[in-house]
Amino acid sequence: MNAMLEPVERYRRLIDAVAPSLPGGAAGWLMSQRARATEHFVRQGFPTRKDEAWRYTSLERVLDQAWAPNADPALQPAADIAAFHLAKDAVARLVFINGRCLPGLSSLSGLPAGLQVGSLHSALKQRPERLAPWLGQAAQASVSSFTALNTALIDDGAWVHVAAGTKLAGPVELLYLSTGPETTVAHPRNLVVLEDGAEATVVEHYASLDATACFTNSLTEVLLGAGAQLEHARLQDESAAARHISNVFVRQGQSSHYRAVGVSLGGLWSRSEYHNRMQQTQARCEIDGLYIAGDAQLTDVHLDIGHAVPACTSRERFKGILLGRGRAVFDGRIRVEVDAQKTDAQLANDNLMLSRQAEVDTKPQLEIFADDVKCSHGTTVGQLEPAQLFYLRSRGIGADDARRMLCLGFATDVLQACSVDGFRARVESRLQQRLAAGAVIGNSGE
Amino acid sequence: MLTVKDLQVSVDDQPILNGLNLEVGEGEVHAIMGPNGSGKSSFAHVLAGREGYTVTGGEVRFDDQDLLDLPVEERARKGLFLALQYPVELPGVSNLVFLRESLNAIRAARGEPALDAAAFMKVVRDKAGQVNMSPELLKRSVNAGFSGGEKKRNEILQLALLEPRLAILDETDSGLDIDALRVVADGVNALRSPQRAFILVTHYQRLLDYIEPDYVHVLSGGRIVRSGDKSLALELERRGYGWIAGEAAA
Repeated sequence: MNAMLEPVERYRRLIDAVAPSLPGGAAGWLMSQRARATEHFVRQGFPTRKDEAWRYTSLERVLDQAWAPNADPALQPAADIAAFHLAKDAVARLVFINGRCLPGLSSLSGLPAGLQVGSLHSALKQRPERLAPWLGQAAQASVSSFTALNTALIDDGAWVHVAAGTKLAGPVELLYLSTGPETTVAHPRNLVVLEDGAEATVVEHYASLDATACFTNSLTEVLLGAGAQLEHARLQDESAAARHISNVFVRQGQSSHYRAVGVSLGGLWSRSEYHNRMQQTQARCEIDGLYIAGDAQLTDVHLDIGHAVPACTSRERFKGILLGRGRAVFDGRIRVEVDAQKTDAQLANDNLMLSRQAEVDTKPQLEIFADDVKCSHGTTVGQLEPAQLFYLRSRGIGADDARRMLCLGFATDVLQACSVDGFRARVESRLQQRLAAGAVIGNSGE
Repeated sequence: MLTVKDLQVSVDDQPILNGLNLEVGEGEVHAIMGPNGSGKSSFAHVLAGREGYTVTGGEVRFDDQDLLDLPVEERARKGLFLALQYPVELPGVSNLVFLRESLNAIRAARGEPALDAAAFMKVVRDKAGQVNMSPELLKRSVNAGFSGGEKKRNEILQLALLEPRLAILDETDSGLDIDALRVVADGVNALRSPQRAFILVTHYQRLLDYIEPDYVHVLSGGRIVRSGDKSLALELERRGYGWIAGEAAA
């Protein structure tokens, strides 16, 4: 525990130092949220492996650096960032560098009626009361020290509001780029609100401009009104030195539909958490995920899906590809509370091990307190089928290409859950690149 | 084209083939028949390079090369094709992608340029029509959820597309109804040419009603114990395998 105190103290000082410059200082509700989160963070400290949710995940690689913010608004990327755009038909695009929104790189002109998109920082500066009904309403700052830290430091991020009944013709794209100097940290805070009957697609894309070690602690709050439909595609494609934790909190209204595809490719250490609360009946939640972990990488996924009311449906399906000495953790929990009769919930986690040195800890959990429910979970850890490899090779396809084809095939149904062509194409090509590092998969144990 | 000399193979130290000899020339169709467990399918798989078989003696030459020395994909690129008894399902791998990668790998080995998407689509649609295969099956994952007959048709489509010099069909007739059998047979017959040879591995004479072989061999105890023309197949149909196994043992 003592070893953890030092970083806590460091962050406490950081919070004190930046607090006066945070936007919305006059909004009492916001100030008290930040204060409660700070208090919680200081009291709780960072988790250790004695905490159940962190049993398989050491924080050493996150706490070993003196991370500091470096969100200079004047910061401009040297290179053209168009290569990072995923959605050709985006109706709006926000670009962030080290957590700070850069309006010059964003495209917000000609927004369709009913859509509001902008920087959270500006919104909090100009009209914080506009956000009061939602900000902090889905996220529980107390979930971990990272959610507390993010809340204590609420500053910039994306603010997306889709008015009742509005159906967007294309995705809202959010691009988060990280860059040096070394040990830069960003705490992006995103708020996505879909009013009753609204339909939208939001793409979150995290990438690095260089190979410096950066830390991203992002938190996205999603609030869906009755009948609202959101497709939420998320790609973590940061550098091999990056540390990344993301927390997505979703609160669903009646008959709303939340459809997510979460892909984790990059990072030395990354963790992705989805916390979903279905608080009104007939809501539907589907989360598909894909993660890759290669040499030196740790990739961690946590799901906390809460059925609090009757007749909601959830489907979670995560697939992992492990290479070299990669490590992955999957901890998926569905909680069906006593009133949540007629719940229909399924959880699946499949892992493809391409090396004998790779390791995965997978822990699906169903906690069911209602008696009339349909719930299932399943986990697999397997290797490429020799019969499948033989089949491809017997048709003239080389062994490495055959392995790549089978790995892509393994990931296909997850990717097909995403409707954004550019997102799927990017993930596929990045997957190909990762798998093409022949040495990594050459020793698959033949 | 193919010369098999005294081939001896074992699986987990159990001998499966015990001195098999076979000579296949260009344009010839050979049927290999035999009771269950005689080593027919093992022979087909050893030729294609499947792992799990240990060659303990003998040799196989394919166009004056040591076939057994070549990796699986190299054998395919040199013109050897094995149609599987149980075609493998590849969930998530599009049949079109599979067929295109395969054809382009084989074309590259033959020194031909890769086909672009449009040219490939034209070829594959044409060939699929020939084997009476629904274009819908091209878009699906390879063999995933295909019926037994559809899987076999997909094998024959690959045969038609890849145009191998030596095609080995391992029990391609098993589990097929008469219509599907006819489609398979028509596909094979259409591909018969003076340059292309076939080895038909089959338990039943039925397939040979549709594809007429030049030679029929009976495999028993891991060796070819009798060879003849198509009349041998008819005799087997009438008398079963018992008398040959008995003669061979005597």
